[in-house]
Amino acid sequence: MTLVKEAPVRPAKKRSAAPAAGRRGRRRENLAGYLFMSPWIAGFLVLTAGPMIASLYYAFTRYNLFTPPEWVGLDNFTTMFQDPRWQKSVEVTLKYVVVATPLKLLLALGVALLLAQSRRGQGLYRAAFYMPSLIGASVSVGFVWRALFSDDAIVDRTQKVFGLNVGGWIGNPDYVLYSLVALSIWQFGAPMVIFLAGLKQVPRELYEAAEVDGAGPFRRFWNITLPMISPVLFFNVLLESIHAFQVFGSAYVVSNTQCGPADATLVYTCYLYQKGFKEAQMGFASAMAWSLVVAVALVTAVLFWSQKKWVHYEEAAK
Amino acid sequence: MGTGGNVERRTILKAAGATAATLGLAATTGCGGDSGSSGDGTVTLRYAWWGGEPRTIAIKKTIALFEKKYPKIKIKPEFTDYQAFWEKFQTQASGGNPPDVFQNAVGFLRKYDKRGVLLDLKSQADSGNLSLDNFRNGVLANGQVDGKQLGIPVGANTMALVIDLKAFKKAGVEAKMGWTWDEYFAALQTIQDKLKIAGDTGYHGIMYLYDLYLRQNGKAFFTDSDLGFTEDDLTQWWTDAYKRVKSGLVADPKKIEQVQPKSGLSAGLAASEFTWDNFSIRYEGEGESDYGLAPIPTMDGKHTGQYLGSLMLSGFSGTKHPKEVAQFISFMVHDPEVGKIMGYDRGILATTEQYDAFTPTDPTNKGVKAYEEEVAKAGVLGKITPHPSGADVIEAAFLRIGGEVSQGKTKPADASKALFSEAKAAFAG
Repeated sequence: MTLVKEAPVRPAKKRSAAPAAGRRGRRRENLAGYLFMSPWIAGFLVLTAGPMIASLYYAFTRYNLFTPPEWVGLDNFTTMFQDPRWQKSVEVTLKYVVVATPLKLLLALGVALLLAQSRRGQGLYRAAFYMPSLIGASVSVGFVWRALFSDDAIVDRTQKVFGLNVGGWIGNPDYVLYSLVALSIWQFGAPMVIFLAGLKQVPRELYEAAEVDGAGPFRRFWNITLPMISPVLFFNVLLESIHAFQVFGSAYVVSNTQCGPADATLVYTCYLYQKGFKEAQMGFASAMAWSLVVAVALVTAVLFWSQKKWVHYEEAAK
Repeated sequence: MGTGGNVERRTILKAAGATAATLGLAATTGCGGDSGSSGDGTVTLRYAWWGGEPRTIAIKKTIALFEKKYPKIKIKPEFTDYQAFWEKFQTQASGGNPPDVFQNAVGFLRKYDKRGVLLDLKSQADSGNLSLDNFRNGVLANGQVDGKQLGIPVGANTMALVIDLKAFKKAGVEAKMGWTWDEYFAALQTIQDKLKIAGDTGYHGIMYLYDLYLRQNGKAFFTDSDLGFTEDDLTQWWTDAYKRVKSGLVADPKKIEQVQPKSGLSAGLAASEFTWDNFSIRYEGEGESDYGLAPIPTMDGKHTGQYLGSLMLSGFSGTKHPKEVAQFISFMVHDPEVGKIMGYDRGILATTEQYDAFTPTDPTNKGVKAYEEEVAKAGVLGKITPHPSGADVIEAAFLRIGGEVSQGKTKPADASKALFSEAKAAFAG
């Protein structure tokens, strides 16, 4: 590890002494670097890039894993766009992304604002709020969630206090997706930590100046905090949306592996999984995967484009 | 870092070489598969099955017995639950690395025969490595496709109605052999009126029950290569079912969904449930009431449409040790000790040797035995043909779409259309 880290430093020293030898040395060092990286490069090529290219090819074939893939052109895509379950999975996923991402970020930002103030035991609070993110993706939490949102469990009892008699959410196609949203929001730790770091970067003198000018807390937040952390906010929006598009584990476990009831938690990746690994329609599943890649790329592009409207980089201001 | 470039390079190259060698080695061990033979002639077979913990414990005991009798054959067990089993199997089989011997069912024979995965055990029987004698009630035919013997049945089971005995008694209703659907639903109505619980946990999504209903009407769910009923037939089935869910005669699917993986019957949400008779053991463990097996309702007062299904053992066509696979299967289906250990967990034991060796003592197994004897005596047992390739996908779709209907999310006619469209894709797959 240390070798790789130190490698770029050495050529600089050598170059001053003998330029020719230095170049050779650098090449040698590059070679060494690549050699050390080779397990990871090999892993990337064999386990990531290779399968991706293969799946791009499969997307245009009918492939049931047993008989060789058969070229069908765009058939998978046309079937997919007409498939009511595919449409349903897109609808479910979009709903999830649009509801879960903003709520999660709002909570993360809110808690980060509270934790940014120095007070006794702040380390403890930060750790406590971050904790759910560490265990959030695990299967056991999915089971706990099933229990929490069942009939007569804590959520049901709480909502009854407010006169809501909808029963448990888990078996109800109209509500079950929101239990997944709740699970996602609960894992706000990662964006919160990033927000915290961003908040620490905001120069204190801006607040002091604003205070002198008589700006209240809301004004200070709106006119100083928000613009100053907008790059961090942008980063979080980007990352969390991409994550949300790929949600799988929680839907799979909370719905008892069925992504139901009545396809209510049939998120995109879950349908992809069913098509690929249950029904062995690998061509169709590959087409789905690449469509998701394109869709996420588009969303990312739109976010990047929107940056100039609302993201404030300090360099640009100078 | 103060050493010269040459030394450093040599060290680096060595290190890199070692890394590559290790990786290569890991790859070799990873791909080699685990079944094979070692120098001393010992053969290792991979054996995979699905099922609950009691089955796994029992099977492991039978493996120990086998290894004692055949010291040159070692068995490496692999087990999961039903769903995961077939996902894993499909992936392994497509990579040419399925287990040598595995549990199988009638719904998967054509599918994996078409894909060339199943070993035809007939030739092994001809060379004396496997006995095809002494199978009861002709169940051996369950493992045959187009003249090939692709599976050897370990047991025989049939669909049944499991009832909450206390609830039925309290409501004063009785399940009789040959009762009609009208009588059955009337009984459920009485239960609902008197006990304020649903009558049934949700029959609408069970493909094997709909199959019986169709058989009672001279049809069947599958022909050799297609569905054996019309869209209208299914629309009717689901229209009736949805009415019964609405009226509370059939349990609220939201509640059934929540208690999973527990059954709605053992959770006390309803008083009866259709399932395979050898599954009835689960209810005693899960629930607080007493449970018993009751006859399938009929159209004409006699014909239930039932047949004996089977779990079976199959071999992999590409196994390096077909002889040992055959010996293993033969031992597992014929040895009386194995029968004693397994009991009726995978259905009533398929061969006379095992059937005679095991005498049920607990009420559940006694109930299963009495039930199948009663059904056999009534002379209603029909024949089952191996399902077409894709049947497993259709079974899952039937359950899922039936669930959408009962949740009121899909109209029965649309649901029926959807099933037919998915079935078409599944048969083509």
